[in-house]
This record gives sequence, C-alpha cells and structure tokens, in this order.
Amino acid sequence: MTLLTRAGAASILRLAVVGHTNTGKTSLLRTLTRDPCFGQVQDSPGTTRHVEGARLALETGQAIELYDTPGVEDGMGLLDYLDQLSPPSQRQEGPDRIAAFLDSPESTRRFEQEARVLRKLLACDAGLYVIDVRDPILGKHRDELTVLGLCGRPLLPVLNFINSPRQRADEWRTALSRLGLHAAVEFDSVAPEIDGEARLYDKLALMLDTRNELLQAVKNDVLQQQAIRRDDALRMVADLLVDVAALRLASQPDQASVESTSGKLRDQVRQREEACVRELLQRYNFRSEDFAQHALPLQGERWGMDLFHPQALKDMGVHVGKGMAAGAMAGVTVDLFTAGMSLGAAALVGAMAGGLWQGVDRLGKRVMGRLQGYRELSVDDAVLRLLALRQLALVDALQRRGHAAQAPITLDADSAIDTPARQALRSGKLPEELTEARSQPRWASVSPDHEDSPRREEVVRSLAGRLAA
Amino acid sequence: MSTGGSFRQAWLAETVRLREAHWGPLQDSTEVRRARAEGGTFSERILRRAAFLGRREKLDTTLQHWAQIARWSLIAMLALAVLTGAGTGLGALGDGTRPVNLLLALAAMLGLHALTLVLWLAGLGIRTNGNGAWLGRLWLSATQKLARGPDTALAPRALAGLLGRNGALRWSLGAVSHLLWLTALLSLLATLLAMLSTRRYAFNWETTLLSPDTFVSLIQAIGWLPARIGFDMPPATTIRISDGLTLLPEGSHALWSSWLIGCVVAYGVFPRLVAFAASIFQARRGIRALGVLDTSLPGYALLRPRLMPPSEGIAPDAPDGPTPQAQVRPLALDASAAGEPLVVGLELPPDTAWPPPGLPAGVQNAGVVDNRGQRHALLDHLHAHPVPRLLVICDSYQTPDRGALAYIAELAAYAQETRVSFTATETQPGPAVDDSRMDAWRRQLQAAGIPTSQIHASLATALRWLKDAP
Repeated sequence: MTLLTRAGAASILRLAVVGHTNTGKTSLLRTLTRDPCFGQVQDSPGTTRHVEGARLALETGQAIELYDTPGVEDGMGLLDYLDQLSPPSQRQEGPDRIAAFLDSPESTRRFEQEARVLRKLLACDAGLYVIDVRDPILGKHRDELTVLGLCGRPLLPVLNFINSPRQRADEWRTALSRLGLHAAVEFDSVAPEIDGEARLYDKLALMLDTRNELLQAVKNDVLQQQAIRRDDALRMVADLLVDVAALRLASQPDQASVESTSGKLRDQVRQREEACVRELLQRYNFRSEDFAQHALPLQGERWGMDLFHPQALKDMGVHVGKGMAAGAMAGVTVDLFTAGMSLGAAALVGAMAGGLWQGVDRLGKRVMGRLQGYRELSVDDAVLRLLALRQLALVDALQRRGHAAQAPITLDADSAIDTPARQALRSGKLPEELTEARSQPRWASVSPDHEDSPRREEVVRSLAGRLAA
Repeated sequence: MSTGGSFRQAWLAETVRLREAHWGPLQDSTEVRRARAEGGTFSERILRRAAFLGRREKLDTTLQHWAQIARWSLIAMLALAVLTGAGTGLGALGDGTRPVNLLLALAAMLGLHALTLVLWLAGLGIRTNGNGAWLGRLWLSATQKLARGPDTALAPRALAGLLGRNGALRWSLGAVSHLLWLTALLSLLATLLAMLSTRRYAFNWETTLLSPDTFVSLIQAIGWLPARIGFDMPPATTIRISDGLTLLPEGSHALWSSWLIGCVVAYGVFPRLVAFAASIFQARRGIRALGVLDTSLPGYALLRPRLMPPSEGIAPDAPDGPTPQAQVRPLALDASAAGEPLVVGLELPPDTAWPPPGLPAGVQNAGVVDNRGQRHALLDHLHAHPVPRLLVICDSYQTPDRGALAYIAELAAYAQETRVSFTATETQPGPAVDDSRMDAWRRQLQAAGIPTSQIHASLATALRWLKDAP
C-alpha cells in the first residue's frame, strides 16, 4: 500500500458501522462509498456475517476507512454473559470486560458475530450506530448500546429510514439522550438528503475534535465530487441535446420515404437518449449490469412513455404552441432541404473569411438535394424540450439516489425542482445554443459526416451552464 | 511546433479520447489499474492511462509519424512558396523588353497577399478557428492526405481539437500561413533585387480614364510608408513625367525600383513578419497552457469513477462462521403442566394494545416482556409452573433476531406446545407488513423447530387455539 505508507497511519480515520441486525448498515456503507456492489443487502436478519471494509481516499493521501460489521442480534444474552464473566460488583472497566469476553469460549460460539463487531469497534476510532427508526425502542437496543458503550469508543447514532411514515425518530432521540448519546444524525441510506453526507461528517467532526481537519477535508471532498458529478452529468445532457438538435436526415420527397426516414430519425434519437442514460448511470456509479434494479429507466414501461408520444409531452408539462403532428410523423419536422446552410450573417462572414472550401463539398450535395426536391427531417422543438426535461429529472433522481437503493429509478415530473431553466424549457422557446446547433448538421455525433468542432464544445459547455441555472 | 513532453502527452491523451469517443471504449483494465496504483491527481492519471494505452495501441508512433510527415509537407510547401515568390517576381517584371507598368506589377506582387491578410485580420474578430489562415489549413489537409494508416486521421483531429480549445489552433495555423507568405515574399524580394540589379527595366504608369494628378497623389500616398523606412521616393515631377511618353532623366528608374522594393518590404514582408511574430507568440502561449488537462471533456467524465474510484474495498476479517441456531425442546406431553395456558407479548412496541383484544378468560396473561429483568422473571415463573399451551405474540414489523428466537426457544421448553402469532397484521393501522419480514419470521421460527402450522398470521385463530386446544 503506497498510499498507506506515504500518508502514515495518523491520517487515517477508522469508523466501524455497528447496530442491530437489519437496520441498514451495509446500505449505509454502499451509499457512503458509492459502491452499489458492496457487501450484500437483503431485508432479512444476519445478511452480513463478517467484517468488510472500504477506504475513501483523498488526493492528499488521507483516508477514511469504514467497516461494515454483522448486526448485533443477541445483546441481552451477551450482557448476561458479560455479567457472568465479570460481575458488576467487581467494578471492572468496560474495555477490560470486553477483553475478557473476547478471550472467552462463547466468543467463538454463541456470540461469534457479536465478538467480531466488538473486536472491530475496539480497533476503530469511533462507531456509527445505525438505527432503523421504524423499530420501537426496546430493552435489547438499550442492552446492545450498553455493550457497545463498554468498548470506550465514541458512538454516533445514525437514524436510518427517517423518511418512513412509521418513523419514531423523536422517541429514539429521547432514548439515546437518556443513554448519554446526545448527538445523532439523520441519514437515509436509500434516499439521502443532498447534504446528508456533509452533515454526517460535520457531526463526526464535532465528536472527534482531534480529527476535525481530516473530517473537514473529507466533507469538502464529498461536496466537491458532488459538484463535479453534477457538472459532468449536465454536460452529458447538453451533449445529447446538441446531438439531437443538430441531427438532420435527408429524404426523398415522396410520402413513403419521408415516413420511413422519420422512423429512422426517431430510432436514432431514441438510441442516443439511451446511450446518454447509460452514461449518466455509469457516471453516478449505478451499473445496470450489476443490478437489474438499476436497469435503464427507458426500457419497457418504466418511464411509461416513448419520447415521441404526444402524451409524454403533457406528462412532463411541455407546452406545445402549434398542434403537433401525430402518427407516423409525430415529433418530426419536415423542411425543404438546406443541409443546415441557413446561416446567420456572422457565420456567412466567417465562411467567406476562410472556411470557404468547407462548404464546397457540401455545396454540391446541397445543390443536388435542392434540385431533386429533397426534404430534410429534424426533431421537433417540443420533443427536444421534453428530452431536456426528462434528462434533467433523471440527473436529479440520480443525484438524490443512494447507492443502496433497490427500487427502480422513477422520475417525478412534478416534484422536480423548478428552476428557471426548466420553466423556460417547459413553456418558452429553445435555448439559443440549440438554435445554433440546428444550423450545424455536422455537430450530430450520430451523423456519418460528424465533425467535432471547438465551437460545438463551447456550445455544449454554455448549454450545460444554462441547464444548471 | 514544439514537441515538449507535456504537449506530446496532452496530444496523445486527446488522440486516445477521440479514438474512444468514435470507436467505443478500449479494453483498459490493466492500464487503469496501473494508472490508479501510481496515485496522483485525476489529470495525472488520465495522462498516464493514455500513455499506457497509446503505447499498447501504437498511437504514439502514429503521432510521431504524423508529426514527421507534417514537417516534410511544411518543407515542401516552403519550397513551393520560394518558387511561387520567384515566379511572381519574374512575371511582374517581365523580360525587360517592355516597360514595367508600376501599378499592375505592384498588384501582381502584393494583390493576393494583401487580400488574404485583410481577410485574416477580419477573421480575428470572429471567434471561429483558423479563419483566413487557409494556407495553414491547406498544410493540415495535405498532411492528412499524405499520412496514411488506420489512426492517422485521428492525429490532426486531436491536434486541432486540443489547440482549438484554447484558441491556439487559429494562431498555429496563422503562423504557418504567415510563414509561407513570408517565405514567398522574401523570395519575391530576392528575385526583385537580383533582377533589378542585373537588368535594365523601364517603369511607367498608364491610364485612360484617370488624370495624371490622381496618379501623382496615389503613388505618393503609397510611397509614404516606404519613405518612412528610408527608401528613396521619386519626386512629383518624376512621377508626372513617367507616363511612358516622355524620356526619363538619368536615375529616375533607380528611384522607381526603390519605390517598388520599398512597397514590397513595407506592405509585404513587414506586415507578414509582424503577423507571423504575433501568431507564434500567441500559439506558444496557448501550447504552454496545454499542460493543464481539461478534465471536463466528454470522455473523461466516465473515466473519473474508474480512475478515481470513490472507495476501495478492504478484504473481510475472516470467513463467515457457522450460524448458531436455538432449538425448541418442548416439555414432554406426560409431564405435569397443570397451569392455565399462557400468553406473552415479546418485545412489542410500547403503543401496542395489551392485553390483546379478544383474549379469552382462563388464560394467564404474562404481559409484554421487553427487558432482561422481565425475561428472567417469566422464565423463573414458567420453571415453577409449566404450562400446556404457550402463545408468544411478536411484532412482525420487526426483524427476527437470534436473541428473540433464543428466548422463544427457552420459553418453549416449559410448555407442551408453543405457538407464535403477530400483532401488527391486524391491530395496527398503517402500512401493511412487508412480506419479506413475515417470511423471515417464518423461516427463522421453522429453523428453531416451530413448524408453520404453529405460526399464526392471524391473532384471532391463535387466541382461539389458546383457549381450547383442538
């Protein structure tokens, strides 16, 4: 481990994730590590049977090590046994009692799982005590906390499943205070708050003030990575939109060819959207091949609607000015052939000023197309807006999704944060970047004569910035 | 084009990126692992991965090959420029049999140059790449045509993309353009000097439409700048009489040659030299800035989770141990269990209604057992007074754990028959119990030795059984 030797052990903070069985310890680990494949998650007791860790490393070489432990299931029995090993009348210190237990025969038999937990907690700097706040506070939880408390390590209660209607968070807080645990943090491992992780590390920093610096660094890294992920995602969406806006297919003028070409156009757009979704999932570390649950939300009836179905527009709240074509031509605009040469004045000057021959080879095509009365098919403005809204909703959903989530990704058009960019997409006209992309058929990466120009990159960037607003 | 290490690295990385963007991702697990093992920032890892992949895919030699061809084609074009310049000079002066028409000669020598220079200057105002630097573009496409191979098309595109991003492309192509023009103009100048030194030329101007005064002022205006530099300019009288009709005094042809050469220097060589210097300066500045990799480019976003994984796994402490399993050993049927049947709630939420509604008379109510004291008290009681039938009521919202099952097994040892039922299904309003929790209870109880027939999802049937065994 070059990392370890370089940084030294002092810059590593070890945290044991402990708690009653089936409270979501492994889920918490998955969400904190953004690794949907970490351990095993199942709604049943004793799914995790060993201690497994993950390291969150910073660029500076500092790191946090998180250890997932088996659930404590028999706290009461263990406390009985501890009393038997060293009766309270002997007034032994907690860690000594734990040490005596770890040497006892039952630590390898009836309390084998509990022994693993305690051994790990002793080796760590602090523990995160995960609570399923839907559970009532019972004697076994108190006994369990007593046993864990004997290790002499600070414990930060993590209130999981806080969004459930059956949650008893307030009862838990009161009960925890009575046990001397006054700090607690709410963190839903399946649907964490956007700033949930940051708050978790803040609370830990308060508790472990000597490790404050490291925890702040981790927190800042978490926030920074979150921002980078969002920027990346918005750029992917912008790239998709520019691609689709620029896409133009030439077709012979008769109705049959126009219809078959429009089918082709729609297929290309669907495939491009699918590719974008796949990239987004990958960027957010949700891998569809690892998890059927993370499958593409486009497939089947997941999103309910095909991109080109007029109902999909209504569902996303996209206002359509003029009546949209339906049936075979839905979502497709047909124009006279221009090959995107409807240039503005600036582009014309630019073309004159040097890039003339760029146009020359296209000029032939264009003149031929004109002469033969070709039509040109492109994607309707409304569909572009729908595409943008859908992808933005997906980015939001991924941003909020915990890596422990097992339910399929769902997009909620109504609950989406209503930013000015989205309002504009819903009602207004296209962003100017997309209008520019419309006149640049070569910008479409799916088109055979695609040319990646720096101007395209600029447009993608500026569009991504607009979508973030 | 300088071939600094960081520039080459950035070029290679861009080539790999473009290649992957067009032909799909390369199989790179080894390279990613190696890049990750060496640590460093995200950009360093990208460059390292690109270097490994470039070596594997022989992209680095492709780039080298391309750079070589680019160099040769530039040399060829420079040679062509020398020839063109000389040819233009010769053409403009003619063979000396006819007097040289001053303005036509000047237009032939500087016309195209002036036009392209003006277009280039105009193109500076527009934020697109390489406008007006069409000689540079020509060089780029000539190289592209000459360099053959599967990935050679990538090299210039990567270069253009890389340089285009921070505006270095227009300056680089501009520099190439200006260099070619400069060469041509210098060759033209040399030709002029050589021809004018070794041959006798007569100069005049001709017009049908314009007045001689216009010519005088025109020539003087054109000659203003060369005069500043120190070239001798013909005086107004000499200009006026150089109409091709009057015999010129001695030395006036030398004056005209000086005017012509001065014009080529002042309007040809000098502006191109300035433009070339400016372009080279800007291009170098742009290329130096390439050392910082732009990690926001499309392909890199997907590399981040792999090159900078949010977490690395740490291996488990030890293999999974055996699961200890509590076993129910019911009281023998012939043992004395004279007491009334008993019902107990195990670890029920404090807000559960207790005793359960519909509890029949003649049944002992042991209450809800939660903490250790209560557990021990009930065990002591049952030890003293075993019961024929025992009903344990659990909360099916909770997860069954080993502690609860072990206690149920302990209790069951003092009853001839033990059954389990649940509260949550009927008594509590709210969301229905997850089937998975119910299944977990069934599975765990069965493993402990309580068959499905003794587990009642419905509390009412369980209470009926408690009252009078079937």
